Amino acid sequence: MISRRFLLSFPIFLIIYLLQEGFVTQMRLPAGGFSLILIFTLAWASMSTPEIGALTGFGAGLLMDLSETSPGPVGHWTLVLILVSFVISFLSYGDDHVRANPLNIVFLVVAGVAGAQLSFALFGLLLGQELGSISQVLFICIGTAFWSAVITPLLLPIISRLHALVFETASRI
Amino acid sequence: MRYGGDNRGRLLLIVLIVTSLFLITLDLRGVQVIDGIRTGTQTALTPVQKAGSWVLSPFRNFLSDVTHLGRTRNQIEKLKADNDALRQALLNRKVADAELDQLKNVLNLAGNGGFKVVGAKVISQGASTSFTQTLTIDAGSKSGIHTNMTVISGFGLVGVVKIAYENSAVVQLASDPSFRVGARIAGTQQIGILSGQGTRKGVLQLLDNTTEVKVGDAILARGSNNGRPFVPGVPIGEVTSVDNSAGAVTQTADVKFYTNFSTLGVVAVVVSAPSTDPRDSLVPPKPQPTPIPTVTVTATPSPSPSSKG
Repeated sequence: MISRRFLLSFPIFLIIYLLQEGFVTQMRLPAGGFSLILIFTLAWASMSTPEIGALTGFGAGLLMDLSETSPGPVGHWTLVLILVSFVISFLSYGDDHVRANPLNIVFLVVAGVAGAQLSFALFGLLLGQELGSISQVLFICIGTAFWSAVITPLLLPIISRLHALVFETASRI
Repeated sequence: MRYGGDNRGRLLLIVLIVTSLFLITLDLRGVQVIDGIRTGTQTALTPVQKAGSWVLSPFRNFLSDVTHLGRTRNQIEKLKADNDALRQALLNRKVADAELDQLKNVLNLAGNGGFKVVGAKVISQGASTSFTQTLTIDAGSKSGIHTNMTVISGFGLVGVVKIAYENSAVVQLASDPSFRVGARIAGTQQIGILSGQGTRKGVLQLLDNTTEVKVGDAILARGSNNGRPFVPGVPIGEVTSVDNSAGAVTQTADVKFYTNFSTLGVVAVVVSAPSTDPRDSLVPPKPQPTPIPTVTVTATPSPSPSSKG
């Protein structure tokens, strides 16, 4: 069962990663744009158990770390996404009030994106990275959160269907 | 009901966090395997990124135009202004090149004739409403230009200085109806008087009725005392038609001036006549006709059938 889920999840995330690296980053959207893989991972985590959420964060973070544009060491995004995905899935999984309303998922994803970026910046500072001024970091965090708020509602039905396909759950958003 | 988690889940979380910390440590310590994986990923991603860049370039350009609308407009305005300035510069350059050509020609002519000249730019063409043909040049008495001095272009006679001011001078063109110049035919040295007709064509009235004038003959200025108003040997034009009417007192011929008065940009005023008459040395060479290649086809007779048998 686990291997089947992994075999189905991996190509999905790989395609999302390729779309992110090959297309979304090329759009050069203003105010930082959005991260397809970050949105996908956090939305995926919000529909999964905390263990699956953490594992999803691990895999997605590893893919993001492999990107040449990632400024941190390998493991930086991995650590951040394990924690954020775990928190997101912990907050949403089993709470029907949260899962019943798609807006809650969108809110969790947007908050998760902003939280992930802030955590990334915080860990980066601890690791001695140069991230620019605080205002610039905040501007990008807010910009990415805005774009995520725009994009997530559009992607949520697709993510929900794929998640249901992989985990064979009947519930769809 | 909120998920409470269990020991297995916590253990998994700890393992994952420790793994990520392990990866961070390895990377920060410069383990080459990690770098290799990253480089390999980037190598694999490059074609996808290239394709993405190609596919998204119209969208990106559109987005860039939208986000930089004000800046793009300013840039367009600036580029338009630059373009206009460049066009103007190109035009000025073309005018300067043309003037340079004219100046070269006029200096060549003056050099060949041994004339001492002062170059000048044509600054205005006189109004022809009063039926005169004049132009104004930007050099005057300060440059040594005085009345009754010959004015030439690269092709030949332009006219004569009518009025000289300090910094400018009015030139009466050879095409002016009141213009008269003593002329001679190159080669035969027959003399006559050439008068302007208000166009590029003048009329030559020969003094000797028995001389023979041919179409294509070059006409030169005969020259005046001390070279004023006309220096000798300046080419004027060539005969285009001859009037040989029987019973005419004098023989006349139409002469087309070498100088095109409407395109004059630079002229030269001859301030000093040559010590010796250049005679016919300034006659412009006649254009050489380009030979047309002829092809001769020789038919080779085929052997007659009878020779076979």
